[in-house]
Amino acid sequence: MGHRLRTFAPFAPFAFFVVINVFATSARAQAPANTPPYTPPKLANGQPDIQGIWQVLDTAAWDLLDHGASLGVPAGRGVVPGNEIPYKPEALAKKRENAEKRATLDPESRCFLSGVPRITFMPFPFQIVQQADKVNILYEYNHTIRQIYMNGNPHPEGHIDWWMGDSRGRWDGNTLVIDSVDFGEETWFDRAGDYHSDELHVVERYTPISPYHLRYDVTIEDPKVFTRPWNISAILYRRIDPNVELLEYECYAYQLENEFTKK
Amino acid sequence: MKTIIPIVLILMLPALVSAQAIFNPKDWPEGKEGPGAKAWAGVRAKLPPFTAPRTPDGQPDLQGRWGGTWSGDQIEEIPKFLDVTTPPWESWVSDPADGKLPYKHWALAERIAHREGLGREVWSKDPSIHLYYDPQAFCMKAVPRYSQRGYELVQTKDTVIMMLNWGHIYRVIPLDNRPRPSADTRMWMGSARGHFEGDTLVIETTNLNGKMWLDSAGNFIGPNAKVSERIRLVSATQLDYSATIDDPETFTRPFTLNAPQRRQRAADEKDPYAAESWEHACHEGNGEHEQQIKQLGFKWYLPPASPAK
Repeated sequence: MGHRLRTFAPFAPFAFFVVINVFATSARAQAPANTPPYTPPKLANGQPDIQGIWQVLDTAAWDLLDHGASLGVPAGRGVVPGNEIPYKPEALAKKRENAEKRATLDPESRCFLSGVPRITFMPFPFQIVQQADKVNILYEYNHTIRQIYMNGNPHPEGHIDWWMGDSRGRWDGNTLVIDSVDFGEETWFDRAGDYHSDELHVVERYTPISPYHLRYDVTIEDPKVFTRPWNISAILYRRIDPNVELLEYECYAYQLENEFTKK
Repeated sequence: MKTIIPIVLILMLPALVSAQAIFNPKDWPEGKEGPGAKAWAGVRAKLPPFTAPRTPDGQPDLQGRWGGTWSGDQIEEIPKFLDVTTPPWESWVSDPADGKLPYKHWALAERIAHREGLGREVWSKDPSIHLYYDPQAFCMKAVPRYSQRGYELVQTKDTVIMMLNWGHIYRVIPLDNRPRPSADTRMWMGSARGHFEGDTLVIETTNLNGKMWLDSAGNFIGPNAKVSERIRLVSATQLDYSATIDDPETFTRPFTLNAPQRRQRAADEKDPYAAESWEHACHEGNGEHEQQIKQLGFKWYLPPASPAK
């Protein structure tokens, strides 16, 4: 049982940044080097400006790994370097069971909040809004909000079971680095049954590589489920369609209306 | 996971308590009504003139965390104690002056049916008396009812963003008067376009789907309503919020809701997290509630067809 008692530990911010830096180095080492250097515009407060509406173009919502097509499922190259998720043997069996029973087990089938990083890969746009001490990410899917605090507070004392976790951010040069913990066990990574435990620790790095692209590097750590940390690397595309704006995909409202009105 | 539901309930508690305080009829002075639109107009009239500070982009700076407006229970006058959450209260309707919603005959009949169908007077478990449950019970909001809860307002050069902690509802309001989606593109929160008139943020919302009530007492607007909100700083800590609803299919004339929104202050200034918005996962813990509503015979609310159409 998690508890919500929070005490301010003065040394905690230091520990938090040490952890981030370890992962930052490993994610950079694996980043593709085939894009020319790019310097994003800056906001008046000096932060890199990565605001705007973004969306993935890959098929990782269906499966983070390489996969062929089936009815309603587009084929796609995966977003996991090495194309392997290092499950422990018993965890791999659970992933396979999840995939088989996806119709009832997938939290998406009940329109629950997607978790991280699954929300990024949902085939819907999202908008980044920056403030001096917080980055907000607004997702069209289920009107989800992530508020990434950069106010100096470390993760609150936990464990807390949250669907979208507790996210703390910082800028590493032009890269937005987000460290998230305090996840529950109920969210998945994709529609192929890839999953995690409440020990999930996610580090995301959003790096502008052109005015229209962010490289999205993620390190996933969960010692209950995986034998080692593993990475995701994908591209986020800026939506520049005329009049593009976030609309609505109110998943549970549509589902409940169907349930209540079916004959 | 077993721990999620209690945490969701704990997180909802402050919202429930702040929106629905508990009042003891014995302690409520005879003839007293809680402050609504008229009381607010009186307070506002006594405030010294105030000019909003400006953002670096030159806009009136309305940013911050704001507390909600009406209680959400009933926007018209509540003349007598209904229960301990619902004491006598002044109307939030500032226009017409009588504080009543100017329903057309057919629409008033609908509103009466909505309220009777809630079964609130008797709290019966008999499904035959039930019609619709308050649609907000399904973790949804619409314009203007979202404003009953607190939100954080953030401005960029070309948008105003409002983020409710309740149910992670948000609005992104473009300020560039871009074309709206077609009239058959309907959304719970509608399509909003904003602009500044002097110190006042004006937001016009259309393309609503009409599936949300104005309050939990069955008051409603139709899907073709146009909602014009005006938001202005009247002091460093207070916004004057009004919403004018123009819906000639449902009402004989436009009407206006008016209420203050107050800058939120941390309950505990020493708590470094007090000004943060933490997750309010509403739907995820709501399954049992949804099943109960269904078992009590409530139907899903869909906007009634207007006879004018």
